[in-house]
Amino acid sequence: MAAAAANCHAPGGAENVALEMVSSRRDVAGYAWAVGAVATATAVGWLLSYGPRLPQGGVRPHLDNSNVLMLYLLGVLWIATRYSRGAAVVASLLGVAAFDFCFVPPYLTFSVADKKEIVTFVVMLLTALTISTLTHRARAHSEAARQAWERVETEFIRNTLLSGVSHELRTPLAAITGATSTLIEAGAQLPDASRAELLDTIYAEAERMDRLIGNLLEMTRLESGELRIAPDWVSLQELIGSALHRLERPLAARDVRIDVPDGLPLVRVDGVAIEQVIVNLIDNALQYTPAGTPIEIVVRRADGDGNAEGSVTLEVADRGPGLPPGAEHRVFEKFFRSHAAPRGARGRGIGLGLAICRAIVEAHGGRIVAENRSGGGAVFRLTLPQRGAPPVVDATG
Amino acid sequence: MAELKPTILVIEDEPPLQKFLRLTLGTQGYQVIEASTGEQGLRHAAMARPDLVVLDLGLPDIDGVEVTRRLREWTAIPIIVVSARGKEHDKVVALDAGADDYLTKPFGVGELLARVRVVLRHLAVANRETGEPVFERGSLRVDLARREVTLAGQPVHLTPNEFKLMAALIKNAGKVMTHRQLLREVWGPGSGDETHYLRVYMNQLRQKVETDPARPQHLMTETGVGYRLAAPD
Repeated sequence: MAAAAANCHAPGGAENVALEMVSSRRDVAGYAWAVGAVATATAVGWLLSYGPRLPQGGVRPHLDNSNVLMLYLLGVLWIATRYSRGAAVVASLLGVAAFDFCFVPPYLTFSVADKKEIVTFVVMLLTALTISTLTHRARAHSEAARQAWERVETEFIRNTLLSGVSHELRTPLAAITGATSTLIEAGAQLPDASRAELLDTIYAEAERMDRLIGNLLEMTRLESGELRIAPDWVSLQELIGSALHRLERPLAARDVRIDVPDGLPLVRVDGVAIEQVIVNLIDNALQYTPAGTPIEIVVRRADGDGNAEGSVTLEVADRGPGLPPGAEHRVFEKFFRSHAAPRGARGRGIGLGLAICRAIVEAHGGRIVAENRSGGGAVFRLTLPQRGAPPVVDATG
Repeated sequence: MAELKPTILVIEDEPPLQKFLRLTLGTQGYQVIEASTGEQGLRHAAMARPDLVVLDLGLPDIDGVEVTRRLREWTAIPIIVVSARGKEHDKVVALDAGADDYLTKPFGVGELLARVRVVLRHLAVANRETGEPVFERGSLRVDLARREVTLAGQPVHLTPNEFKLMAALIKNAGKVMTHRQLLREVWGPGSGDETHYLRVYMNQLRQKVETDPARPQHLMTETGVGYRLAAPD
């Protein structure tokens, strides 16, 4: 068997064609598979026709040669669907040669007793080449369609980005320009209270622009892979405290409830990135819930045992209007913004805050979900895997 | 002779920020010298001998960290570095290279003036070579000489390391201290990377001296950089 397969190797001409067509590692693999496919078709055809012995002059094969031909065409089709056109051509040529060598009397030579067999070879070769050409064309079409679709998608995302970003940046800018020009032209006539109000507007809107641009930069860094996650043993309680401090002003009128278990061990995460996640989740709650409603932050830890790894879960829950139906997954998509947002004091973002959260959490090997709470409101829950025990610190000294 | 107002050297290449710093610091009565490149800044520092340097880390010619190193070769003049958010690593490098504090762009005037006042006060204290023996802020009172800590009049017991940590922060009250700086102060050289010690002790210290340890008012976290004890009242 092995000898038969080896003898049925490609004629010299086809090998040259093959060499010329080699252009990549995958191409090389394609030619190897072409040889393999022909060898397999030969082996299967041989076993079905003669069983595990050499063909004898008077013994009729169990399998008709037209069925053996089908096996070779199947091999060519398989190669054509997966590899280059060159590999399929090689499989076609090899297939005809192998068929002649192994199945057409006189056996185990390339010579042909009955000249009618030549017609069989030509038909077989043409069929094989047609199959490879058609398959190749179909693949090229589907590939082109896929690329075209990707282009449309990219274009759509880019346009959404541009229009969304331009609009959201222009809104605070318009407020800043308006307030500043009023102060320059009529500042002297305005009462102190109005002047202070205009200045407050300028400051708040500039801060909002800073937030928008910060999110854009963060997303760009995450997507370009420039932002690397650098895990360290950090205190989650500390990160929550620091996030709340960063949002001190907008949180002033909010009731924030923090539920972190006493003696929560250190967790291994990138502190700066996870603090950003907490800030974005709280900021999201501030944007989408009415002023004065409470915000709850809950941390829970699940210890791992011998096999299962441990994890730490952090929830930011609100008592706002909740998520619109079907938005549980979409809220984490880039530039998705729920229309349920109340027009409130805290300006709306560009729909990147939660997408950044998801990117950071997934970079930690964790996951983040959003759902509606019983009793009203939404909850955002992130779970971060924790491998290994936290370092033991004797802190009695 | 009238008392001279402190002179501040501003090394900043962006014209709008230059203008903002010049106007704001000038209004407060500081003398302002300006430089728009690192090399120019180093020359001005050597010639004009300012009392404080405000240094942008993103200069067109030399890296701000390099400017910090070259200043520290010959002077202990206070340096406040200015950089963008997300550049925590640069800030830590600048601080460990000898900068006294940092500001994250964009910053408000309140933050800027608070940082300036704190580093100038530390400079004055360092010149007298005697620190203030008592730190008071809100309901927290720490007497360093007597090693006594009280919260709302109630005595608080600190372990020796907790006290060392508290004392290191008080000596630098209002200024950020990097993890490395604090670890060295409390546990000695060679403990620069054991940040988990610091986090565990900081948590314990907050449990003892903060009214609400989850939302600290004294011991502030500067994530990715270090800690800051809020300046006394």
